[in-house]
Amino acid sequence: MQLFEVLLESSAKAHGHLCPGQIVGVRMAMLGCRLIGLTEPTRRDQIKKLIVYVEMDRCTADAVAHVTGVKLGRRSLKFVDYGIMAATFMNLETGKAYRVISTEEARDLASVYAPEIAEKGPRQLAAYKRMPDSVLFRVQKVRVNIDECDLPGPTRRKIVCSNCGQVIRDKRESMIEDRPVCRPCSGACYFNHAREVSWPDMNWSPGEQTPANRTNRDGDAGNRRFAIQ
Amino acid sequence: MLKKIKVEDAIGTRLAHDITEIRPGEFKGPAFRQGHEVCNDDICHLQKLGKNHLYLIDLADDEIHENQAATILAQGLGGEGVRWEDNPKEGKIGLHAAMDGLLSVDAAALAAFNMVDEVMCATLHSHTLVKKGELVAATRAIPLVMKRAPVERAAAIASQHGGVVSVKALKKAKVGLVVTGSEVFHGLIEDKFAPILGGKVTDLGCVVTGISFAPDDETLITAAIRSHIDSGCDLLLLSGGMSVDPDDVTRKAIHMAGAQEMHYGAAALPGAMFLVAAINGIPLLGVPACGLHHRITVLDLVLPRILAGETITKKELAFIGHGGLCMDCPECSYPHCPFGKGM
Repeated sequence: MQLFEVLLESSAKAHGHLCPGQIVGVRMAMLGCRLIGLTEPTRRDQIKKLIVYVEMDRCTADAVAHVTGVKLGRRSLKFVDYGIMAATFMNLETGKAYRVISTEEARDLASVYAPEIAEKGPRQLAAYKRMPDSVLFRVQKVRVNIDECDLPGPTRRKIVCSNCGQVIRDKRESMIEDRPVCRPCSGACYFNHAREVSWPDMNWSPGEQTPANRTNRDGDAGNRRFAIQ
Repeated sequence: MLKKIKVEDAIGTRLAHDITEIRPGEFKGPAFRQGHEVCNDDICHLQKLGKNHLYLIDLADDEIHENQAATILAQGLGGEGVRWEDNPKEGKIGLHAAMDGLLSVDAAALAAFNMVDEVMCATLHSHTLVKKGELVAATRAIPLVMKRAPVERAAAIASQHGGVVSVKALKKAKVGLVVTGSEVFHGLIEDKFAPILGGKVTDLGCVVTGISFAPDDETLITAAIRSHIDSGCDLLLLSGGMSVDPDDVTRKAIHMAGAQEMHYGAAALPGAMFLVAAINGIPLLGVPACGLHHRITVLDLVLPRILAGETITKKELAFIGHGGLCMDCPECSYPHCPFGKGM
């Protein structure tokens, strides 16, 4: 694994800014990988061994993903929305898993670890670099029962929603009166009042000019033809 | 796990913890020790101590008793020059100075340690002069039974820089004194500085190897400094000439003598015009005139730290500020006062 400062710089660049969450995330990932015996998680021979569950959608999550190389689309990054500054690192080969939790007291301790810095933000940055892992984190050894349908690799199962015909992958369906339905049809869903619409430049495809440029050339004919409903 | 039983039913069981007895103004300590087998004669005594129930302990694999916890905590807390006995009393272990010297407390690690739930450690102030055997810190686990992991994490936090409390012996330095001021040099007034400064360094076990007097002439002060250094002193104290008058040339002389580092000004009163410099690793301390008037000044805060091997820079002189204001009491009680204790 690269040095902390190198990882922090690249992580902050990828994330968009350097913040205390980046430092916590980079260190959390370094510790998590060390605990499960992965020295180079982004290397080809190790990348498939790793699954990370992040429990927050904050800056720290981006840093954890950056350092470990886990990705939502590879199914190696799992987001579980607990609102807790924690992540679990699992080695699929050994089954070992450790949950690394960022301590709340670290925030209060910033002033004693970097007393010479008066401003809160810079003080937290300096302090989080100085604190040992034992101050910044608590660690739990955990058991993760991972379903086959949550593992990286090809889709294990497809099923069709009995209500709308939508294909549902990997056991994400709900069963209502013994019939499979997709989440939107089940009602337990993050949106409501869904209705299908048409949109401007519906026939655009890559290789053509972008819709915005074509509108400049052709006027707003497309928009007139397909008003947004 | 703890099981509560009536004290009358406890005969034949062993006590899970020390039981404290307090007789106001007379005694405070364990009336019964952990492991004591309760017998019929104990019941009345226990009831007089307010114990109508006792705990039986059945520890799970990941649990430890308060005494085991105290031992783990003390192992993390005790640094160089600190000793402790693995014999917790009432769940507490005291950490003691293994030698005369200067106590150093890692305040950040101490704060982080105490932020872990269910453990505590209290210490004397950092930079306190302590005697061999003196209690410098004490620790305990707060509950009778606790999980092992947080105790071990607290101990790891404590040991991050080799322990929260450590005691360093003071170097028995060979000290040169340079008393500046034309008024003294020419005999217009009697010098009072040399006996004061000499007394302070000898009280700390040092030896005064030479005293020089120089007028307010930077060349002559420089020559006096060089002479002390050439004769092998470990530490040089200079008095006077640290202020803002045109005749105050001691700072210039220290610079001319080859000081590689100079930090002028300390966040303490008395002692704002204090100066710390170094020539080839030999510390030079410039003591302003307040040292004549006040029994205790910033010199008394800095000198033991220098003798304990600490390097004093701008940062250390700045951090003295919190608590660096002497209350100028009619009867000085230093070191039993807040002066210099805020660091």
